[in-house]
Amino acid sequence: MTAAEAPMLEVRDLSVAYGVGRDAVRPIDGLSFTLRQREIVGLIGEAGSGKSTAALALMGLARPPGHIVGGQVAFEGRDLLAMDDEALRRIRGRDIGIIVQNPRGALNPMLKVGRQIGNAYRAHNKANRGDGKRRAIDMLRMVGINDPERRVDAYAHELSGGMAQRALIAMALSSMPKLLIADEPTSGLDVTIQAQFLDQMWQTVQETGSAMFLVAQELGILANYCDRVLVLQNGHIAEDAPVRQFFAAPQQPYSREILRLEQDTAEGGIASGGTVKAGAEPLVRITGLVKNFPIKGSSKVVQAVHDVDLAIAPGETLGLVGESGSGKTTVGRCLVHLTEPTGGEIRFGDRNLSGLPATALRQMRAKLQIVFQDPYDSLNPRWTIRRILREPLDLHTELSRGEKDSRSRELLEMVGVDPGLIDRRPQGLGAGMLQRLNIARAIATNPSFIVLDEPTSVLSPRAVVGLVDLLRRLQRNLGLSYLFISHDLTTVRYLCHRVAVMYLGQIVEKGSVDQVFNDPKHPYSKALLAAHLFPDPGQRRVDRQDRRELEGEIPSPIDLPKGCYLASRCPSAKPECQARPQELTILPDGRSIRCWRVATGDLADQEGLQHAV
Amino acid sequence: MLVRYIATRLVIGVAQLVGLVIAVFFLIRLLPADPVSRLVGLNPSAEAYAQAERQLGLDRPILTQLLHYLGLAPEEGPGLLQGSLGISWVTGSPIVEEIGRHLPVTIELITLSFLIAFVLAVPIGMLGALKPGGKADRGVFIYSLFAGSQPEFWWGLLFVYLFFFTLGVAPPPLGSLSPLTSPPPEITGMITVDALLAGRPDTFVEALHHLMLPVATLVFILSGPIIKMVRQNMVRALRSDFVLYAHCAGLPRWQVARYALRAAMAPSITLIGILYGFMLGGAVLVESVFSLSGIGQYSVRAVLSFDYPAIQGVVLIITGISLLIYLALDLIHAVIDPRVAY
Repeated sequence: MTAAEAPMLEVRDLSVAYGVGRDAVRPIDGLSFTLRQREIVGLIGEAGSGKSTAALALMGLARPPGHIVGGQVAFEGRDLLAMDDEALRRIRGRDIGIIVQNPRGALNPMLKVGRQIGNAYRAHNKANRGDGKRRAIDMLRMVGINDPERRVDAYAHELSGGMAQRALIAMALSSMPKLLIADEPTSGLDVTIQAQFLDQMWQTVQETGSAMFLVAQELGILANYCDRVLVLQNGHIAEDAPVRQFFAAPQQPYSREILRLEQDTAEGGIASGGTVKAGAEPLVRITGLVKNFPIKGSSKVVQAVHDVDLAIAPGETLGLVGESGSGKTTVGRCLVHLTEPTGGEIRFGDRNLSGLPATALRQMRAKLQIVFQDPYDSLNPRWTIRRILREPLDLHTELSRGEKDSRSRELLEMVGVDPGLIDRRPQGLGAGMLQRLNIARAIATNPSFIVLDEPTSVLSPRAVVGLVDLLRRLQRNLGLSYLFISHDLTTVRYLCHRVAVMYLGQIVEKGSVDQVFNDPKHPYSKALLAAHLFPDPGQRRVDRQDRRELEGEIPSPIDLPKGCYLASRCPSAKPECQARPQELTILPDGRSIRCWRVATGDLADQEGLQHAV
Repeated sequence: MLVRYIATRLVIGVAQLVGLVIAVFFLIRLLPADPVSRLVGLNPSAEAYAQAERQLGLDRPILTQLLHYLGLAPEEGPGLLQGSLGISWVTGSPIVEEIGRHLPVTIELITLSFLIAFVLAVPIGMLGALKPGGKADRGVFIYSLFAGSQPEFWWGLLFVYLFFFTLGVAPPPLGSLSPLTSPPPEITGMITVDALLAGRPDTFVEALHHLMLPVATLVFILSGPIIKMVRQNMVRALRSDFVLYAHCAGLPRWQVARYALRAAMAPSITLIGILYGFMLGGAVLVESVFSLSGIGQYSVRAVLSFDYPAIQGVVLIITGISLLIYLALDLIHAVIDPRVAY
């Protein structure tokens, strides 16, 4: 075996314990695996399975009061756990870099980010403070931060979540480590930036012969970038398989469970909660919806939503996708009148919601429900589940106390939660369970329509599968219609009949899931789909030749461009796009599109559709 | 930005003081006390009583008295606006002068005590935090429990017994200087400083010697809470994500310690400032034990003799100083922690 083939990292029987003696728990217990040069290994596991603890332990660290109680972590043949502190310190940050979760917490709140990156660099390189700052500027530029000369002087609290994430990445990479441990490094980033970062890391690993240990919650990341997948269960590796094998024939029950939807879809199974009657009268119809938010101390407004038309048939799921800030959530909130629309009409059945008096609107709410993104925040932690579920029944029904109780138990059974938990409080229940409770509360009054505002975005892969199953089942059994708002195109594909793509408050493309996902026409839809990481190792992004990307930043929703909103970033833009406002046009195949070049056939197909997923 | 912030705070501070002056003015007069009879003694004649009342100005309507006190009726004599706190009803001398004599004694005492307590307590608290549950940590815990559980005058007396009476290393608790030494010319009112200004090193040393026990008593009392606070904040800082990440980045140990200390200092500074403001009036027991005529002693005397102008003056001055200290603290806090915005 030559030196190049020797494992870069060899972990044997690594254990981490919290507490001492008999009360000690071991989130990591007998962890063993190897990592070679030029390899990207992904680690997946349930929420709370100890993935982050494992990542830290590879550095020879444990979050206090935990401590490493045994095992070996051999990096290039030397056991990190047997080293003295100074030798270990020299390896940390220089040879092994780490990107942790909660980037804002990991940055020192008292020091400018440039100083911190400089300090990390100077801890391993002969450099003075000026060199450190120059290095920090270079690194910030490398991770795609605009105006790095100014940002080096920012404090952590002055950065957005995504920006802090990138600053942390810059610090981890400042000494060009041979091994990068990345714990969900892209969780705060938009899909396009996520893809850019992972592309860059993949390339670095291939070119420099380094390696990456990637903790991921998203199957898409594993499929697109990892060479091998490790499944962490009960503190040790339960499955260790090459990526294609993992996705084709998962061995563990856990792996089979999280991949079930993907395999169903690949085999052409039911991709949604049932079929929709063709030509049915829509249940919900939005026409010309406009929502502006005034800016304090200015006559200008934020145009969150601009001229949106949507129709949802009974029993149908419409997906609403787009980057953060595209106005998806605002559309959902306007729909149930949680925020008052500035203009446009929202019809539910045969009634116009906009004209309704407050009491009538409250009554309508029984039929028109919403489930929010954050399951923790949307349930009162001080209330028992019994009381949470009784609230809508108190408001909208005339049931007796006993009937309400039995209805609550029935609801819990419908969403797959043990009715024996009815006197528990939300505290201590997992995110997936809480989201089920939110859904139970939403369906308590027999609604016919539910807005689902990113209900799966904080869930673990297994909980996502469970929730998608549940939503499909409820749709089949109760004939519900959904507006499913999400940035996760994978879940949208599992759940939706039709999909609408939003950009800067407008719908740019609308059609069936098959139309939009397999043959996107609008340049923005194309870019969004190209950046999305589908959990299919047969279509790896890194194997693709052309990775279409949008350039530049999203324009401000305060000073919107005159013509096409995408013109400044669009790879197919022509000069006239800058001046020409775009209309949503219906194409012969039934989809709508907001791009005059596509609508008039000016944008030819050969300009890059073949590589689309 | 900074100047505007300070200016705003000062304006608000002055408004608070005005409110306080007026409130105290009325509240004192609600006391079930009769300062006039206190002055003229028991069983005075009606004329003597009336004359004393006129002398104190208490015969006039209360609003007139207030206007006079605030200095809004300058034809009747100087008030606050003219920089006068009035004349003491007991001694007949101006309050400004009396406070000017007593306040520096206390300031000297507690400033020195806080400096020493700070210098001692911060490293000790840090040590405790670096090894929570270690020997040093447990020792400190027992000490702070012990020191804080008994009143300061008791410790003062014990110290006097031990260091003066038994060991003889400290001077008797009879004031700032031995009765035979003539005090240096008064410039700041703080004897140590005045001695240095007058070029009298022997007096300076003697003053320090006399301050030894009262300062030791206060340091002994104050160190407990400061150590606890520093330790607590340091433990929290050491467990924070950014310290963990500093280890991940391979920063040298001293630098990690600096990251943590800075995070721990900000809240500790606030506590120290609040304690300082509190001790301005609260050092009275220690002052009594060591016969130091500080502001605490003065205010107790003023209250006991119903010397309204003196009470008002003390409250006003101590509050004013406290407000300035809080302002300074907020500024220091903002320097340490950039998240604090002006």
